[in-house]
Amino acid sequence: MNQFTFPSRARVFLMVCMAIGLVCLGITYVTDDALHTRFWSNLLHNSVFFTGIAFLALFFLCANVIAFSGWYTVFKRLWEAYAQFLIVGLVLLLVIVAGLWMHAHHLYHWADADAVAADEILQHKSAFLNPLNYTLFTVIIVGLWIFFARKIRSISLEEENVDKFDFSVHKRKLRIWAAAFLPIAGFSSAAMVWLWVMSVDAHWYSTLFAWYATISWFVTMLCITVLTLIYLKGKGYFTEVTSDHFHDLGKYIFGFSVFWTYLWFSQYMLIWYGNVGEETIYFKQRLQDYPVLFYANLAINFVLPFFVLMRNDTKRKAGSLTVITIVLILGHWLDYFLMLKPGILHTAHEVLGHDAAHHAADHAHGAAEHAHHASHMVAGFTLPGFLEIGTFIGFAGLFAFFFLRQLTKAPLVSYRDPYIDESLHHHVV
Amino acid sequence: MSAVVSPIRDPLITGHKDYHQITEDICAPSERTPSVAWVVSFLIAVSVLAVGVFCILWTIWFGIGTWNLNRTIGWGWDITNFVWWIGIGHAGTLISAILLLFRQKWRTGVNRAAEAMTIFAVLCAALFPGIHVGRMWVVFFFFPYPNTRGPLWVNFNSPLLWDLFAISTYFTVSLLFWYTGLVPDFATLRDRATGLRKRFYNFLSFGWTGAAKHWQRFESLSLVLAGIATPLVLSVHTIVSFDFATSVIPGWHTTIFPPYFVAGAIFSGFAMVLTLMIITRKVLKLEDYITVEHIDSMNKVILLTGTIVGVAYLTELFIAWYSGYIYEQYAFLNRVKGVYWWAYVGMMSCNVLSPQIFWFRKFRRNIALTFFMSIFVNIGMWFERFVIIPTTLARDYLPSSWSYYVPTWVEIGIFIGTLGIFFTLYLIFTRVAPVVAIAEVKSILKTSGDQYAGEHAKHAHKPHSHEEESVAH
Amino acid sequence: MSTNREILFGLYDDETDLLSAVKVAKERHLNIDNVFSPFPVHGLDPLLGLKESRLHQAGFIYGMIGTLTAFLFMTWVFTRDWPIIFGGKPYWSVPAFIPITFELTVLFASIGMVVTYYAVNGQGPGVTNPVLDDRITDDKFCISFDAGHSSEEELAAYRKFLGETGASEIRTKTI
Repeated sequence: MNQFTFPSRARVFLMVCMAIGLVCLGITYVTDDALHTRFWSNLLHNSVFFTGIAFLALFFLCANVIAFSGWYTVFKRLWEAYAQFLIVGLVLLLVIVAGLWMHAHHLYHWADADAVAADEILQHKSAFLNPLNYTLFTVIIVGLWIFFARKIRSISLEEENVDKFDFSVHKRKLRIWAAAFLPIAGFSSAAMVWLWVMSVDAHWYSTLFAWYATISWFVTMLCITVLTLIYLKGKGYFTEVTSDHFHDLGKYIFGFSVFWTYLWFSQYMLIWYGNVGEETIYFKQRLQDYPVLFYANLAINFVLPFFVLMRNDTKRKAGSLTVITIVLILGHWLDYFLMLKPGILHTAHEVLGHDAAHHAADHAHGAAEHAHHASHMVAGFTLPGFLEIGTFIGFAGLFAFFFLRQLTKAPLVSYRDPYIDESLHHHVV
Repeated sequence: MSAVVSPIRDPLITGHKDYHQITEDICAPSERTPSVAWVVSFLIAVSVLAVGVFCILWTIWFGIGTWNLNRTIGWGWDITNFVWWIGIGHAGTLISAILLLFRQKWRTGVNRAAEAMTIFAVLCAALFPGIHVGRMWVVFFFFPYPNTRGPLWVNFNSPLLWDLFAISTYFTVSLLFWYTGLVPDFATLRDRATGLRKRFYNFLSFGWTGAAKHWQRFESLSLVLAGIATPLVLSVHTIVSFDFATSVIPGWHTTIFPPYFVAGAIFSGFAMVLTLMIITRKVLKLEDYITVEHIDSMNKVILLTGTIVGVAYLTELFIAWYSGYIYEQYAFLNRVKGVYWWAYVGMMSCNVLSPQIFWFRKFRRNIALTFFMSIFVNIGMWFERFVIIPTTLARDYLPSSWSYYVPTWVEIGIFIGTLGIFFTLYLIFTRVAPVVAIAEVKSILKTSGDQYAGEHAKHAHKPHSHEEESVAH
Repeated sequence: MSTNREILFGLYDDETDLLSAVKVAKERHLNIDNVFSPFPVHGLDPLLGLKESRLHQAGFIYGMIGTLTAFLFMTWVFTRDWPIIFGGKPYWSVPAFIPITFELTVLFASIGMVVTYYAVNGQGPGVTNPVLDDRITDDKFCISFDAGHSSEEELAAYRKFLGETGASEIRTKTI
């Protein structure tokens, strides 16, 4: 079976997932604080998370084309399909953008005119952190990614119609467009991470942050690939995908989990060692008020894959892979949760004026005081609650629904790709 | 490694070689009497080495005062050179380890020489921490050993000590990795030699026979060593970057330093590999094993890492502005427009702008241009370290202690001397050991030899194609 | 190192010949003593019934020893033996211990594995093992049988096998 048909049961299941997500978002909105902080932060969290995954699928696909890699060819349609989700991602982010202009949310400290007026640092940053920039960067850069996602996809489909030994499409088109995307992606993704994620802690900055956040997306993308392949194989598709392909995907997950840890450590250790108040505030806040998430993040995203995927057999078996990839997807989702929520909650507190005294103290004593704002347990912030889980299920359903629909539009395995034979006979030694 | 190879791949071994011819070709340089070119190069290298030794002795005899370091600029050419050499020492293990894990077959042509280069570069690098402390006769104080001074231990919290551990570990592991790979090739040389030569290679080859079980363990060992050498390579330059980044000096204390130093190190390492390989393949007549395809691939790595370094430069600049921290902003303004502006210009043009020509296949495959570019990149990477170290130190928090630094002849002499050490060792290496990994090249012959691979051999592939299967699906 | 063993061996010109020969030997239940090649031949290990090497497991153990050595030693020095405060950090400053801990993990694992590898291979500086033919490290692939401990019929079967499977040379050698 090389033509995927979207099973109606899966369709219904994913629709139910999406419905759960919608209901959860609705409940969140109704039960929320006056600013609907929880609702908007959940929306931002999941939109950014899944948009990034789609982006990384495209990036990794292009990187593989340029590296003359062959083994992945058999399932490259998956990454093409994931990448198309960028269109949905843009729509979701445009909701955030609309909210920004209508002052419907207070996700970003810098978007608050009153806060900026009273804050020299924010005034300085307003040349970059302003609604217009946020909008333009989001639209232009994600738009550019979408353009490449569609371009790469269409060239890849064009290959379906050429002779297998005619490499002109691959050499003259695919490689060139893929090569063009890599530097664009490299430069633009950093800007997007700064705007979408890092700027929720508007005072704080870290040069490594963009790369760290990107790798988190990447590991998730690989995990989703493994899960999709296991699912589709279970349905009788992708019989060509063997445990050797899983082995290599497992190696990538293992390797990049270690790399993620390396970036995490580099950032944490340097800030800890330098002990500059403007920087340590980020980790101080998280260690004091989010200790469970802080350590869970490391345990799930480093310790677990390190010990589970170190062995060869666990990388080759569907059972162990299913468990570890689901845990890792949740783990990196929590990672983004931890990147976003503390800063957003803090901004909300400021706007709501919960701690008017602290607010004044902030400016008197500097950034170190900030940590006090979140010192009590707040559902949906200190730890994700059922509503967050439900929202995640909704978004995951949306993502799956969208890419499965994309998969129906072309043959699953591209038998005309020049590297297909290598992929079909792939053996890990 | 999949046995099936797509005809879209270009061959990596040209000249229709068979196994015996590979042995002949690669063993030949160490079995001939040295050519005049080799002897002349060797004499030049040893003379330059002698200059270095003289300058080092001069430093030790008269003290660090013979260098132009001052109160503000405590690290000058010494640490610049140290970081530069360590960076160059990254390509070898990277080519061996990471490319082995990524199954990039072109590594087989260049890994041996690159690993040798790594070891020699790390030796050159390790010299500088040793001499820059001034009293070289007590450098063993660096090591944590029970002593009569308390025992007063070394400071395990200091990145400088981490560096000691990182570099000695890196040197040891690279040496083990390199030598383990050399053993089967030494056995090949042994079995071709007679007399004293045979006894020499017999000793070096550790009694290698080529038994199946030994090959199995060999491959297992190579793979695991590659697996642990990969994070090791990353850790070494990461820790070098910690030397700077753990401080609170503006321009040094930035979190992107670890991955950015690693990318820069790979960048400069590949540039040095290219410099050496382009000469080596020509002089030793190894053009069939280190082909234009290899050079093309390495130029792609140069382009990639150069661009990563470029992203990091711009990130630093942007975040310096974004931070709103005036000292950080000034540190970068000083780099771009300060007294050492020329170093910044050199760094940017050599590292980020000029490698962009490698977007074009024509330039990637132009050997003369590649040679020129590889030297250019190494100059650029030297400038990068210079920009980071003396430029930053020249402007400290107190304008009253701002200063300027130019090296003395001793410092320049030591740097040139390390080039002498490096090339002397490399030249000896080309005489003693096979410059290309014989066994590894043989193992890819059937998949990458020009009679088996590439578009010209594609008709041989037709019967194995999956045209029929694809219809069935 | 001479053991006075009489070895019957055949030399093949190509690894594909070698592989098909080993397959035949397996079918005929011939007791192959050893196989030699100038480079690792893939697909040979399962045919010869060689078990997967356990070197990597040994490496893991060596690495863990390195981890513990480094971490516990630094902990002991800075919390028990001579506690000093550096830069306002706690005595037991875990993040600062990570780099050295990592380096020693790698160092112990590598040295341990390489030493183990040479020990189990029976190789090392100054070791000389008997070589059946000088061209085995060049372009010949060799299958050997223990002739000294074989009966006449077995020997005949070995010779027949070597001849039939296309060995370019068949010889005996006492090593």
